[in-house]
Amino acid sequence: MKLLQTGRWITAVGLVLLAGVYVRALAFTPVERFQGPAQKIYYVHVPSAVVSMMAMGLVGLAGILFLLLKDQRFDRFGEASAEVGTAFSVVMLTTGPIWAKPIWGTWWTWDARLTLTLFLFLLFLGYLLLRGAVTDPGLRARYSAVLGICGLVLLPFIHLSVYLFRTLHPQPIVLKPSAPSLPGEMLVTLLVSFLVFVLLYVGFVMQRYALSLLREEAAHA
Amino acid sequence: MPEGVPQNSAFMIAAYVVTAVILVGYAVILYRRTLKP
Repeated sequence: MKLLQTGRWITAVGLVLLAGVYVRALAFTPVERFQGPAQKIYYVHVPSAVVSMMAMGLVGLAGILFLLLKDQRFDRFGEASAEVGTAFSVVMLTTGPIWAKPIWGTWWTWDARLTLTLFLFLLFLGYLLLRGAVTDPGLRARYSAVLGICGLVLLPFIHLSVYLFRTLHPQPIVLKPSAPSLPGEMLVTLLVSFLVFVLLYVGFVMQRYALSLLREEAAHA
Repeated sequence: MPEGVPQNSAFMIAAYVVTAVILVGYAVILYRRTLKP
């Protein structure tokens, strides 16, 4: 299947480029003076967080389009994006506390941003559990679409939580109305890392979508 | 490293290792699942 092969190639290229991001971040990006080397966790934590939110946003959009058009492709895409988003949210939820321990002195705190991102992860899990629990394909697609739309609604709250509530979590330094407050070399590393994470997301989703197609073909055979 | 900069490289290495394990692990799992759908 062409989609599967393309997805595998994109994933392989993405993983090689991820190694390149590591080299650039570790050897060619300056160490931040106050946080030390732990600041470099930023180059994997932030892209994984943005891609997780992007994945949930696309699950929600696919849900809306499925409910409007009843096209199975949107349901299949939503399933693929949710599973891949779960993997990226695990990266986000593990690298965040590893950064927090040396900087804040604690692995975790129940403030708004952290709690809402945990909720995002639980929504991903709930979405996947729901798909596993409902056997009727039509009902499964409809319920999943509604849950995906709930996830889409959550996203603005996650992004704005650092402005709406008192929180330990740093405010956005790139995704904000004014210019990014990050030195050029660090900004380039972050943007390159973000592009590689997006590439991996695309490769994973193509493979996962192809897997759904193969399963459907096997079920009808 | 300049004087006065916190020495916390171990946390950075841990985060990079965890990220690689999760992403490479998921890629391998996905590859194996597509071989036997």
